[in-house]
Amino acid sequence: MIEALIRAKDEQDRLLELVRSSFLLLCAVGFVFYGLEHWVLKHYLESWQSKIPLFLSLVGFPLTAAMFLHRGPLVRYPFLLWMGVSLLAGMMGAFFHLQWNAQDAEVTIWSLSGFREAFDGARPVLAALAHTHIGAVGLIVGLTINDK
Amino acid sequence: MIKAFTNAPDPTTRALEFIRLFMLLLVLVGWVMYPLELLILGHWAKSWQSWLPFLLAVPGVISTALIILDRKTPWIRIFFITTMWVSVFVGAFGAYFHIVWNFDDEVSWEFDKAMEAVAGARPVLAALAFTHMGITGLLSVYRAN
Repeated sequence: MIEALIRAKDEQDRLLELVRSSFLLLCAVGFVFYGLEHWVLKHYLESWQSKIPLFLSLVGFPLTAAMFLHRGPLVRYPFLLWMGVSLLAGMMGAFFHLQWNAQDAEVTIWSLSGFREAFDGARPVLAALAHTHIGAVGLIVGLTINDK
Repeated sequence: MIKAFTNAPDPTTRALEFIRLFMLLLVLVGWVMYPLELLILGHWAKSWQSWLPFLLAVPGVISTALIILDRKTPWIRIFFITTMWVSVFVGAFGAYFHIVWNFDDEVSWEFDKAMEAVAGARPVLAALAFTHMGITGLLSVYRAN
């Protein structure tokens, strides 16, 4: 990213690289902050599912940082793959947070009142989607880069 | 934004406009989803501060929708950019006050106590979602003529 920004051939190219780099930086910041938040909130429990967000950050941040230094296929494809994983993990996290809240409250998420009660439960639903947000942003940045 | 994307003359401009449009659509989704979540969570409390996310969401949705449709009209740009800056600061202040209100008795910025406050009942990073939306919106219109 940094190299592409420096070597941009014209004003429009430089602007594109600047916008890409800025959004990539937001992804990197997101991985650090969300990882930190999960650690502070003690999200690392006995269940393997609770460890997923921390692992997403532990792999996601170095991969995102590496994209700044080199964005060839060797780095970009694993980065894209991980962004896809982050996107899906966020969606599944939101669903399971909702589902487990519903189980605790003994309601079903497939009714409006049950959904509302589950949404208001102890496990935050939209918070999980933050990983989907990071994944989507990273994917858009990565997919608009070509090797030429 | 839509017009700039469909009329992009070259691959560089098309990629740039695609990123801008996509990010603005994400911001628009955020402006709808966050207030909805806050409403369900009962964030509309007695204090005026608790109303801020809802009050901000109204110009947020309108200005983002307008900028997606027309980014050339000066008042729409000013309206959008102002709303995004307000969102950046509201999110940052929200995060700060969530931490401060999470302290049990007195405010102390020692690491252990501060981390305890960060992990308190009022979520800190959730407030920063508004800062995130604001920055994303501002980056999306940066030098978009």
